[in-house]
Amino acid sequence: MQNDLTTRREDEGLSQGALADAVGVTRQTINAIERDRYDPSLELAFELAAHFDCSIEDIFDPEQDE
Amino acid sequence: MTATNTNATLTRRRYRGLVYGIGGLAVLGLLAGFVLDRHFAGTLVYLLGAWIAGGIAVLAPIWIEATLQDERDWELHNRASGILVGITMVLGLSILPALYVLAAGNYIEITGAVSGVILTLSALFLLYGVCFGLAKRRI
Repeated sequence: MQNDLTTRREDEGLSQGALADAVGVTRQTINAIERDRYDPSLELAFELAAHFDCSIEDIFDPEQDE
Repeated sequence: MTATNTNATLTRRRYRGLVYGIGGLAVLGLLAGFVLDRHFAGTLVYLLGAWIAGGIAVLAPIWIEATLQDERDWELHNRASGILVGITMVLGLSILPALYVLAAGNYIEITGAVSGVILTLSALFLLYGVCFGLAKRRI
């Protein structure tokens, strides 16, 4: 699943650790999501969407690149 | 999902270091007791270390406000368990019946140690089945 978490986080001037603290996970989890190596739970996806004040679909794109 | 505190005294790195460090010392103590013929002392060190490390591993995420474990850790545990069970099952199903047939034909002899391994793996699978049943009741 693709996402634009890195762009959104950097736009807010947040480090991975700061975003992790804000949504209650570890920095490694944010790093794994940004590198498309881990798909977050629905709960965490909602947390991220709430943090960036947008919908889950704005951050995550289920379409995979061929 | 709990709030986190970057100024917490116990960070994720320190938490892991404590658990793995104490666990490692416990194993070293056991081995040292074995080598130095101090079996009781080695066992005591091992049990103490195992219980302390296990206690920290289980209780710290509950008591400490900082995020020491999260959903990705559980996902990693799930995947690792799945791979372990898969490998053990494939190896077990492909090798064990052949071993018993060869032993019945007197081509090989299944020693006590091999029997012990087979029994241990069988018991672990049984335990896995029980745990799976317990977990399934919650989902």
